[in-house]
Amino acid sequence: MDAILAEVYSTVLPAAPYVLAAYIGILLVIAAFVALLWRKSKRTEADIDALERALESREQQEE
Amino acid sequence: MAPVPSCLGQASLWIEKGARVREKTADRLVPILLILGALLMAADVVWAFTVAPLVKGAQLAEPVVIAGTVVSNKLLLTQKIFYLHVPVAIVSFAAMALAAFHAVRFLMTKNSACDTRSHVAMQVSLAFIVATMISGDVWTRFDWGVWWTWEPRLTTYFILMLLAIGYFVLRNSFDDPERRARFASVFCIIAFIDAPISFMITRLVPSSVHPVVFRTDSGLPPEMLIPFLLGLAGALLFAFALYRYALRVYMQAERVEALKERLEQLDTRKGRKAADEALERLQRCGQQLAGGADVLTAQGTDESASDSNETV
Repeated sequence: MDAILAEVYSTVLPAAPYVLAAYIGILLVIAAFVALLWRKSKRTEADIDALERALESREQQEE
Repeated sequence: MAPVPSCLGQASLWIEKGARVREKTADRLVPILLILGALLMAADVVWAFTVAPLVKGAQLAEPVVIAGTVVSNKLLLTQKIFYLHVPVAIVSFAAMALAAFHAVRFLMTKNSACDTRSHVAMQVSLAFIVATMISGDVWTRFDWGVWWTWEPRLTTYFILMLLAIGYFVLRNSFDDPERRARFASVFCIIAFIDAPISFMITRLVPSSVHPVVFRTDSGLPPEMLIPFLLGLAGALLFAFALYRYALRVYMQAERVEALKERLEQLDTRKGRKAADEALERLQRCGQQLAGGADVLTAQGTDESASDSNETV
């Protein structure tokens, strides 16, 4: 490569992994937050189903 | 005769109904907002790497012509981090402002729903603060050659992150929900004071190496400003959708607690009923035993009387 061109792009190629890491870092943090919320949502939905079933059966027993 | 509802009562019913309709609409919009926010952020990234030009760095020894353009400076790629790093940072401030707003509302009304909203907004804020810190740190490492420096913007933002973490530590240290909500609300408002300080620090401390982005003459050409604004709009929509989603999850968690409580009440009632029945049975047995003992005593008296008669 031409020496001047090499100088022009001297900060471009070495910076590429850092730029990639910054974007991936942001995406990973947001994805982790969404995944945590999704997992909690699934767990609470299952809990609600189980509790509602239990409540229904208790109420039927009472009647 | 049924009581006639007052105008005030009817008005509050309408307000409640309107609030419920708004909540439902917002919940229905969550997937749309998530997708729209993600698309806008994707458009920001694509634009930033294709149309937006590279910014200029240090001066070259001699100018060079590249693709018909005279280039006299080194080109910096790390500035591309700006297109997502800054919108994410602004969203973290906005989410914290929302958390503080609901904290104030909680202190005014003592409505636990406001505390839940404040808690959820703080979670979104912390997620975006961490994302900002990671991307900013990577940028710092390449451009300044260090992972960390006690520069005013970095320091105030680091304090903001510590305050956000402290909020959750404080929340978890209380068992009583009312006390937890009150202390957390006060702490949230205090923590929010650092957000405008961190935002304005580049203006307050001119020596700061962080540039002032929001100004009338930002110097950003349209091909750089448009992706930035797209990213900002996308990040705001995405964060709002996350906030609504998280709020729904927390409402469900509260419903689980309410159902558990109801189940416990039923079990307690059932247990008490069983205990009452057992007590009744015992009392009946006791009465029967007492009745039997009386008969036996009477028989015993009769027999001893007849014995004495026989002796006489």
